Amino acid sequence: MHAARSSLGVAVVAAVVGIAFADSSIVVLALPQLYGRFDTTITGVSWVLTAYNVAVAVTAIALVLFVHHLRAAVVLASGILLFLGASIACAAAGSLEFLIAARCVQGVGAALLLAGALPVLVALTGSAAAAAGVWTLAGTFGAALGPALGGVLTELFDWRAIFVAQAPVAAAALLAVRAAPEAELAEGWRPKLRQTIPANVCIGLLFGALAGVLFLAVLLVIVVWGYSPIGGAAIVSVIPVATLAARPLERRLEPLYAVCGGALLLALGLVALALLPSSAAVYVVVALLFCGAGLGLSVPFLSRAALDTRSDLPRTGTLTIGVRHLGLVLALGLIAPLLASSVPAAGHRAELRATAVLLDAPISLTTKLPIAYDLVGLFKQAQDGEVPDLAQPFNAHGARNDETLASVRDELVGTIEETITRCFRPAFFLSALLAALAIPVALLFRRRLVA
Amino acid sequence: MSVRRIPKPVLVLAALVAGAVILIVVQLAKGAAGPVSPTLLRPCVPRAAFTGGGLSGVVQRVVLEGLDGAACKLGTTREELVLSLSPSSNSQRLDRKAIEVAIRAGLNEAIDAERRQGNIPAFLVPTLHQLVEKTPFDKLIRGGVALGNLIP
Repeated sequence: MHAARSSLGVAVVAAVVGIAFADSSIVVLALPQLYGRFDTTITGVSWVLTAYNVAVAVTAIALVLFVHHLRAAVVLASGILLFLGASIACAAAGSLEFLIAARCVQGVGAALLLAGALPVLVALTGSAAAAAGVWTLAGTFGAALGPALGGVLTELFDWRAIFVAQAPVAAAALLAVRAAPEAELAEGWRPKLRQTIPANVCIGLLFGALAGVLFLAVLLVIVVWGYSPIGGAAIVSVIPVATLAARPLERRLEPLYAVCGGALLLALGLVALALLPSSAAVYVVVALLFCGAGLGLSVPFLSRAALDTRSDLPRTGTLTIGVRHLGLVLALGLIAPLLASSVPAAGHRAELRATAVLLDAPISLTTKLPIAYDLVGLFKQAQDGEVPDLAQPFNAHGARNDETLASVRDELVGTIEETITRCFRPAFFLSALLAALAIPVALLFRRRLVA
Repeated sequence: MSVRRIPKPVLVLAALVAGAVILIVVQLAKGAAGPVSPTLLRPCVPRAAFTGGGLSGVVQRVVLEGLDGAACKLGTTREELVLSLSPSSNSQRLDRKAIEVAIRAGLNEAIDAERRQGNIPAFLVPTLHQLVEKTPFDKLIRGGVALGNLIP
């Protein structure tokens, strides 16, 4: 009976840990809907994402200084309460400013609950190593699952459903904390934190690369290629699947092989995303499979190395939470301007190529001119950063029954998608570089990592 | 002498890495490193003529060759020239007067070329030249959307 209750408690706390990690990227697929709902700019709407990660990173790094003086259950419970309240506030948000403020509070709550969850999981599982394993698995899986989960909820219901769905999990976790035995951990300052720096640097780099996988791939598939949120979710859901599938191999590999091999796979997957030959989803799916496997191989060992399960779990756990989100935020800070700077030029190149396709199209003037005017009208109506449905004017003029017109439509849509897809290249390469940088760090500090 | 066997998990990892490399090689072979189609051609270099038949084909051929000629004179591409005509375009703005002069010259040259190839009867050429000279291109461009609505 007690064992069953403990298992349930572990499952619920692991679920809330997974959700707190998933929240780093869960709104990615809802961004277009938020953009339309709040009539804002791309930069404005991106803060819904960034604010959470900044809040988690800042709070976690600040917590490292004193978390070991606090009672873990109190930290976890207060974190869940804040997270729960802020999730409800996010769901009820009537303005973008309010939503961003609520996301900040949610981030503070997430940092507290993630920091407090580790020692409570130790108490529930009876073993620091088992607790670290559960926490790591929930975190890695949650981070990879975020966009897919958010995409499904957004399309089935509304963007608000993303936050509503989190509330029951948080409430259940609150009940589990009340029933959990008191966490007994050695406390006080220990010079162990320095030991975890190489592992944390690698984690920060890999989570930075993960920003590229999650945000760039999702943006590409949904905004540029026009997939629905559920379609996008189906594509990115291969990441958590591959992450889980890589677990048995990770357990059998020597740590250094797992870390370096995983980072290499992640980097190669990102290079493959940078070098997409067309807008065919199959290439993205296969590349994301390698990215997910790379994460599944490298992050679990690094997480264990970043956690001092013997004596300093609260502080090492809190530090690694901060570093992960710092990696995400810093990578977003690099990737977003890089992408934003290449989009206008790519948009113009796409316009020029689309013009070439239409001018040379072997169709009559009486079809060509109205389609050209309709296309100009669509571009005028489209909001900043939005790719309009360019197939619509062709379909309205009979492309469904006219093979020649259909082929012009496909060539025009294809050239625009391909041109915009190419402008993601520098950002994907930068993400690949972040993943690849984890390899020399791991090799340089291999003794400290393996120790 | 014993040969040290590579552990199976390492072989699986190596296979995964090789798979990722193969994916990249396949993508490069499928054109990831090549230019995006269609490439914008230089307007001063002759290109394959528009192949459409009938009156629509002739008109389009004259217009496209005329645009090429105008773009060549203005030192830009045909596509950049077309985009610069749209008031909402982000394309580089060219001087409207220079565009008008270049388009008239380009169209007149295209009409002459079509006559030489026997696609336009000789007796129509003076009328077409006059039409090109009298057509208020600037106004037509600005009123383009309204004109487009008249076409079924």
